[in-house]
Amino acid sequence: MWSWDFTFKILPQLLDTLWITISATIAAFAVAMIGGLILAFARRSTFRLLSWVTYAFIEFIRTTPPLVQLYVIFYVLPRYGLSLSPFTAGVIGLGIHYSTYLSEVYRAGIDSVPRGQWEAATALNFSPLQKWKTIILPQAIRPVVPVMGNYLIVMLKETPMLSAITLVELLGRAQIIGSNTFRYLEPITLVGLFFLVLSYSASRLVIRLEKRMNINHHGKMDAAA
Amino acid sequence: MRRLKRNRVGHLISKGSERVSEMTENNHVAVAEAPQSNQEQTEPIVRYRKVSKSFGDNQVLKEVDFDLYPGERVAVIGPSGSGKTTMARLLMTLEKPTSGTIEVDGRQLWHKEVKGKLVPADEKHLHEVRGDIGMVFQHFHLFPHMNILKNVSVAPIKVLGLSKEEAEERAKTMLDKVGMSDKLEAYPANLSGGQQQRVAIARALVMRPKVMLFDEPTSALDPELVGEVLDVIKEIAAEGEMAMMLITHEMSFARDVADRIVFFDEGRIIEQGRPEQIFTAPKTDRLQEFLKRFELNGSSS
Amino acid sequence: MFLRTSLYYQAFDGGVIPISVYAQIFPQLLEGAFVTIQLLILSAILGFLLSFLGGIGRLSRIDPIRWISGFFVEFLRGTSLLVQLFWLFYALPLLGIKLAPGLAGILALSLNYGAYGSEVVRGAIQSIPKGQTEAAIALNMTPRQQMWHVILPQAFRTMLPSFGNLFIELLKGTALVSLITIPDMTFEASAMRTNIEANTPEIFTLLLLMYFVIGYPLTLATRWLERRFSVGRL
Repeated sequence: MWSWDFTFKILPQLLDTLWITISATIAAFAVAMIGGLILAFARRSTFRLLSWVTYAFIEFIRTTPPLVQLYVIFYVLPRYGLSLSPFTAGVIGLGIHYSTYLSEVYRAGIDSVPRGQWEAATALNFSPLQKWKTIILPQAIRPVVPVMGNYLIVMLKETPMLSAITLVELLGRAQIIGSNTFRYLEPITLVGLFFLVLSYSASRLVIRLEKRMNINHHGKMDAAA
Repeated sequence: MRRLKRNRVGHLISKGSERVSEMTENNHVAVAEAPQSNQEQTEPIVRYRKVSKSFGDNQVLKEVDFDLYPGERVAVIGPSGSGKTTMARLLMTLEKPTSGTIEVDGRQLWHKEVKGKLVPADEKHLHEVRGDIGMVFQHFHLFPHMNILKNVSVAPIKVLGLSKEEAEERAKTMLDKVGMSDKLEAYPANLSGGQQQRVAIARALVMRPKVMLFDEPTSALDPELVGEVLDVIKEIAAEGEMAMMLITHEMSFARDVADRIVFFDEGRIIEQGRPEQIFTAPKTDRLQEFLKRFELNGSSS
Repeated sequence: MFLRTSLYYQAFDGGVIPISVYAQIFPQLLEGAFVTIQLLILSAILGFLLSFLGGIGRLSRIDPIRWISGFFVEFLRGTSLLVQLFWLFYALPLLGIKLAPGLAGILALSLNYGAYGSEVVRGAIQSIPKGQTEAAIALNMTPRQQMWHVILPQAFRTMLPSFGNLFIELLKGTALVSLITIPDMTFEASAMRTNIEANTPEIFTLLLLMYFVIGYPLTLATRWLERRFSVGRL
């Protein structure tokens, strides 16, 4: 059933695609971070139409499957002259989908900044940009960093979906190996184990980050007191 | 009579415990006069022997011996952290003693006898023995998803196996006793703290325990609500059916209600005796100091 | 239906597209929609049960039960849904167990979302104050009675909004089963795309809309539950 010879033979091939999975995750996460921030601001806009359109966009994207959104980007956009590589399409698709989640995370962070901070910034006559950059965002992002870390892990586990738009990442490679050799057991099991190791170590990292931030935060509070 | 009691302990427990009871006697001689004579005629309903409890490195009870007699009302006083709440929680089986034994109505609570030896009790054994005990908590702990009638009738139905009608009848009688019979349909969230605590008392009473534990029942209440709860407890105490262990900071209440006052400090019983003796002629420095502090703080609860 | 010929053109992204295309796509997608909804409901029921099994199992006082449920939950959460789906569909037959695609799909979805659900159950149970258990013990309830009459009824209210969110995630997850040949909505759309490639935009537009029509009421219901149960403890 399980062949160790075969396992060791395909291991290098799978490891080769590991970095594609990782870089797709990180790139998509970067898109989601920036996109999320833009959506969070647009949602807060006093310009009603912009705020409303953003709201509708977020609701729509969050309610529909990312796989279908990837299909739209990969198969539909080329008909309007925008052809993207599987990697780029995947990064943008996953990034946009999760930007709607991260916009909520930013919102929660911004809401957690005490009113007094806004008033103090106004009292010091900061410009709106300065106010956001130096006072509000640093305080808003700090408490939500662990939540963002968790979304990074969620996105990692979504990347196998990119094989559906022909990106040869871990699962895509496993499938190719499987259809060439008719042996699916070893490659897919290995891919599962890779994800287990990656997401487990990432979640350890997030927990450590969370602890360190708490310590720093308290340190800061003490200094302020 | 006391001799007889001791023999029974010795025969129930192993040889090691024979020494326990001897030490108990020493303790009684050293610390305080024996409790009231009339209660000496009967067997204690609760018997702590050499009970210790540690949380990590922190030893909150240190080889405590303590007897509670049927119908006796004992007020336990002492500074916070002295171990008095732990005394009650061990008896209610909310915490497990680190060492020592507790007997309830002649049966071991935390141990059961297998071939003459005491082994740690399992859940089934605890279930059998703890039916004799009831408890009222500092923070009431009513069930927020049940209305008042359900709060009081759920255990009679599920635990005692009464019919719904019978259980609700009993519950209504108890709620009437604590003056809450007009709020049967209300939910805990809509009641004041004092009302919630009165319901909690009814909920414990409806199980007809032989021993009732009150763990600082008024400490979480606003000052103006303390009176109504104390009145209810006094009324129950006056009936004199149950043994009661009242852990409290309300000194005048303790003096009015209790047959005996037990003063705890640093995990030990330092002094015990009749209320008039404890409050008017405390023997130990620590109790004197404690009572003095209390007078200074006045009505602090 | 006679309108099909008269309402021939409609504006679409600056281009001009015959409306009849939609009339051609829609019935096939609708067929897929029934499969999607069946998958959704069956996996939700099974996943819901697994959530309680896993969540309560992880809080068990019996060590092996706690370890086993902890291992399963962490394993299922740590590996990816699509990988699990492929494993059941492609790898398991090589171990001599061949599941029908539909069964593999339902199993993967309910196991994966059940694992997330068990964290919801566990968190909700742990959020109930310790005093509630203590009061139940003081009334001499058995552990089972404590759980059933005191803890779960309270915890369930806390769980509802999270379950609502998971339900929406599950709906989106069902699209993945198209990749193991289950003819759900997304599968039908992909199949049509290869047949009538020219109409790719219409196919996927309608597909997205159909997911939205199924999913958005779930979103609204979840919000309602959130408001309802965050107002106060009743």
